[in-house]
Amino acid sequence: MSTNMTIYLRYWRQSGPKAKGYFEDRTLSTVNEHMSFLEMLDVLNEELQLEGKEPVEFDYDCREGICGSCNLVINGQAHGPKKGTACCQLHMRNYSDGDHITIEPPRASAFPVIKDLVVDRSAFDRIIEAGGYVSVKTGSAQDANAIPIQKNDADLAFDYAACIGCGACVAACPNASASLFTSAKISHLSHLPQGNVERSNRVLAMVEQMEGEGFGDCSNFGECEAVCPKEISIAAIADMRRDYARAVIQG
Amino acid sequence: MITLDAKIPDGPLEKKWSRHKKEMKLVAPNNRRKYEIIIVGTGLAGGAAAASMAEMGYKVKSFCIQDSARRAHSIAAQGGINAAKNYPNDGDSVWRLFYDTIKGGDYRSREANVYRLAEVSNNIIDQAVAQGVPFAREYSGLLANRSFGGAQVSRTFYARGQTGQQLLLGAYQAMMRQVELGRIEYYTRHEMFEVVLIDGKARGIITRDLVTGEICQHEADAVILATGGYGNVFYLSTNAKNSNVTAAWRAHKKGALFANPSFVQVHPTCIPVSGDYQSKLTLMSESLRNDGRVWVPRKKGDDRHPNDIPEDERLYYLEEKYPSFGNLVPRDVASRNAKLVCDRGLGIGGTGLAVYLDFRDAIAHDGKDVISAKYGNLFDMYANIAGEDPYTRPMRIFPAVHYTMGGLWVDYNLMTNIPGLFAAGEANFSDHGANRLGASALMQGLSDGYFVLPSTIGNYLADLKPDTRYGTDHEAFDIAAKKAQETIDRLLNINGKRTIIDFHRTLGRIVWDKIGISRTKEGLKEAIADIRSLRDEFWTNVYVPGEKNNYNKYLEFAGRVADFFELAELMAMDALNRNESCGCHLREEFQTEEGEAIRNDKDYSYVSAWEFKNRNGVLEEALHKEELNFEFVELKQRSYK
Amino acid sequence: MPTIIKALKSQVGRKLMTGITGIALMLFLVVHLAGNYAIFASAEAFNIYTKKLESLGILLYMAEAGLLFFVLYHSYLGISIWLGKRKARAVGYEVYKSRGGASRQNVASRSMILSGFTILVFLVVHIWSFKFGETEMIMYAGGEPMRDLRQLVIDSFTIWYIALGYIVVLSLIMLHLFHGAWSAFTSLGVTNKSNTQAFKLGAYIFTILLMLGFIFIPIYIFATGGMGSLIAY
Ligand SMILES: Cc1cc2nc3c(=O)[nH]c(=O)nc-3n(C[C@H](O)[C@H](O)[C@H](O)COP(=O)(O)OP(=O)(O)OC[C@H]3O[C@@H](n4cnc5c(N)ncnc54)[C@H](O)[C@@H]3O)c2cc1C
Ligand code: HEM
Ligand code: SF4
Ligand code: FES
Repeated sequence: MSTNMTIYLRYWRQSGPKAKGYFEDRTLSTVNEHMSFLEMLDVLNEELQLEGKEPVEFDYDCREGICGSCNLVINGQAHGPKKGTACCQLHMRNYSDGDHITIEPPRASAFPVIKDLVVDRSAFDRIIEAGGYVSVKTGSAQDANAIPIQKNDADLAFDYAACIGCGACVAACPNASASLFTSAKISHLSHLPQGNVERSNRVLAMVEQMEGEGFGDCSNFGECEAVCPKEISIAAIADMRRDYARAVIQG
Repeated sequence: MITLDAKIPDGPLEKKWSRHKKEMKLVAPNNRRKYEIIIVGTGLAGGAAAASMAEMGYKVKSFCIQDSARRAHSIAAQGGINAAKNYPNDGDSVWRLFYDTIKGGDYRSREANVYRLAEVSNNIIDQAVAQGVPFAREYSGLLANRSFGGAQVSRTFYARGQTGQQLLLGAYQAMMRQVELGRIEYYTRHEMFEVVLIDGKARGIITRDLVTGEICQHEADAVILATGGYGNVFYLSTNAKNSNVTAAWRAHKKGALFANPSFVQVHPTCIPVSGDYQSKLTLMSESLRNDGRVWVPRKKGDDRHPNDIPEDERLYYLEEKYPSFGNLVPRDVASRNAKLVCDRGLGIGGTGLAVYLDFRDAIAHDGKDVISAKYGNLFDMYANIAGEDPYTRPMRIFPAVHYTMGGLWVDYNLMTNIPGLFAAGEANFSDHGANRLGASALMQGLSDGYFVLPSTIGNYLADLKPDTRYGTDHEAFDIAAKKAQETIDRLLNINGKRTIIDFHRTLGRIVWDKIGISRTKEGLKEAIADIRSLRDEFWTNVYVPGEKNNYNKYLEFAGRVADFFELAELMAMDALNRNESCGCHLREEFQTEEGEAIRNDKDYSYVSAWEFKNRNGVLEEALHKEELNFEFVELKQRSYK
Repeated sequence: MPTIIKALKSQVGRKLMTGITGIALMLFLVVHLAGNYAIFASAEAFNIYTKKLESLGILLYMAEAGLLFFVLYHSYLGISIWLGKRKARAVGYEVYKSRGGASRQNVASRSMILSGFTILVFLVVHIWSFKFGETEMIMYAGGEPMRDLRQLVIDSFTIWYIALGYIVVLSLIMLHLFHGAWSAFTSLGVTNKSNTQAFKLGAYIFTILLMLGFIFIPIYIFATGGMGSLIAY
């Protein structure tokens, strides 16, 4: 059926937030094409443990491309080479025997390393905290069908709402900007009548928070869209700027 | 001595909840900030509860394992959420949703709870839409519905294949708003280890900060566990990797009863295991069975390309056995038969643990375009994971553990038998009986979190004096913290030869083989023996790497696997006790010759609630029975022939 | 509500201003190009055009000051955005690779700072030579004496290294605009999912036409040694 591949791995090691990091190399000779990328790392970790060494830490949970926990930068690409695919859904059949793979954590000052390949993305939570919601009290909602919403608007809102908060956009951006993440939430909500009411406050607050967290400027490189596992369009970023300008002008 | 009182309000079914709401004690709004509530878990149940209670004015402390509340396992739910809105005008009603759910649970759940669930289902949809959840819509701009899991009405609301994600993000955002307002203290990457009881009441928890390894003590007036299901006891399941039973199990060991642990749902259409390295299973919508035909080769070890196997050498086992339902038999029947044919050695693929789901005929009949329009996304997902093109080669599928109906025993107010300790969502046992209908877990989680707990918690708190603090230097906190620390130290000091995953995988195989899709008395007894000996080996031969005062995922896993060992034993005991087949629980001794389940309402119409006694080599548990009374529905046997 | 100043200092505000100043500078280039083509109109036209400009007096100064402000503001924004990168990513990647596909990372977008900086240096030289540089005076029938900029242009571009230098710099502006002309509209929130391709295409066409327009003059003058028949005498 399938034969084993040999993969030359090079991955980032850092024992703690303040520790100095370094690259470690290791050859894995039991890689199977049906393994997911993270399963390959599991195998690596099993080997390390059997030798009494510390396993490599990396983040994951669902392994279905939906929770947004995983966020490896693989050979310089956030989530690896496959379009619209989070690295937990990347399979080793995309690689060949003898490949060299370098794995780094997402690099951004706003995402400090916790250990090895695990970083702290709490900045994203704080951006949502600043305004990424609709202020509605539990139990006070009117009937769900009271406001019809054009199918197109609902679909567009969904496209933006699909963001899984993985941070690949930040990882891949040459400026380490969080514009795609932030604007995806802004656009999701502003395309719906329910979210439209708080539109101005939301965009001002979220933009301020995003900057305060230490993310970089956006130069419209569009790299974020290219790596986004949900393929969220940078049209969201354009929307965010228009909303921002409107909010400022309307005062 | 424990007496089980479900505290079901009197009166007609339709009035119970509204009357109960009226009669419950309230905490005055200006007093609410004097009460602290700990909510462990930020899934649909925990997230919704945290947002709602903080908004009411309570001081909430929220905990989750992941680095953000938004990543709770609820995010992965795909299909949809039920509600009795009857927007399509196809005759749905609260009663019908109630009835379908209680029947679907094979009459092993409480009427009053299920009715309440159906009743608040509509408010959930209203709430979600108001939060900006982008449900699918018709061209009219109104919400779309589809029928799900064999229901005769279209009552499932959905957001593409990401309903759980969108609902969870709604709850998460509502929660983050409260964090911003300072009403929620938000602890991510924290794992709960112990519940702290003072004077018999839940008064706090012990957690481990997963980044620094610090053992922390948190005090509160009430503790809510919304920590999800325990499907990962099987090692391979559709659950997220961090899903666990630890919080519920540690509460159980402190005295909370664990109900119906053997009720586990298996989903028939998952992508099969490809090798030992496999870390989880991926679910594919069971709608695939509408057009796909399930078969295996008649000949053992037939390794021809499936398309080369002629029609008369294929065994369409579902169609043969169940001529009227064919491939559309219920989840448990489909799962069980897949296992049966594989046990007979007819399974396909490298592992022999898979069957074909073939679209050849459907494509020939309807055309590739029609099939692709219906299932395009699923086919793509399959192609990506399995590396095969389902348009030209039959899919390989196999059942996988998906949902756990069992959980902490709770009364009508969702409080466990420990005062002040509540359980919500998949972590409790409350609403699904012996089997859960599709699209009703999301409904239950949100119902518990948005609508039930915020009312019932007041009833409990109103009896407590506000602003009563014992201080985390109270002896009960010290003892609990020490216990947590000891477990960690013990694990780290074993320094054995086998890895944690190795143990977990082996445990999973035992549980799958013997406490899985179908069970026998002998098998269950073997399982108990196997589990015990494996557990003993675990405690002497596991290798737990790393340090305790640092981020250490394997240390986390070690603790969870240790709890799974104990839970697994209880599952076997529970399955052994229940001498009947009901819902997802099939005891081979209790089936007709045609393989139909024989339910025994006379002797087993109860909830088995287990009380932890001791674990000294063997697990000792006492069984308490909560009899189920059916006043409003008539019990019927299922038949799908 | 933030004050306008605060808004202008914010990340999004800065980006909006990069777009606005970028578009303003592009518009200026269009006008500039139109003026340049006066050189082909008649012997006097170019000098009369420049003279006219100069005679606008205070208005011209204001326009020039405005232009200068735009250039400086734009450069300041560009440079500060570029400097911000280091802060936002203190530790870089050992391996970095664009994913391609939807990405707009290319030579143009990656070298905005280089192309921009070269433009800045060039502008100094350019203004120095054409605005404050020494020129012969010329008098047309019935008029007053004026600077013979037309001759200066012709003389300059017949020298190969000046012509080449201009062509190189103009190519860099072209590169700048390959990304910039689309990017500016995205910065202003004008582009969306359905029109962004159109904007991209439009940006390329606009940039190429603009730059062919500019480059044609030095090439033509150099190729014909300043004696080409298109240049009106
Ligand atoms: C693949 C898949 C698809 C599904 N599709 C559907 C569907 O279409 N419709 C439907 O109705 N249901 C579906 N379900 C079921 C449904 O998703 C779950 O039952 C439901 O989401 C559970 O929600 P919850 O809030 O109870 O728990 P979870 O969402 O599991 O949340 C558990 C929370 O508890 C935290 N936690 C756990 N242990 C600890 C601890 N020790 N300390 C601190 N925190 C802890 C976790 O961090 C997390 O925040 C699906 C399930 C799966 C696996
Ligand atoms: C004729 C002169 C110029 C024109 C027509 C011009 C035009 C543009 C345009 C249209 C953009 C895109 C704006 C956006 O993305 O919003 C841009 C960006 C940029 N310009 Fe210029 N520019 C000129 C001069 C300069 C100069 C002198 C500099 C000096 C450093 C400069 C540096 C930059 C930089 C760095 C960017 C990218 C900004 C970013 O990363 O977001 N430009 N320019
Ligand atoms: S926008 Fe895309 S890349 Fe960025 S966090 Fe969301 S899903 Fe990840
Ligand atoms: S692990 Fe959940 S998205 Fe990859």
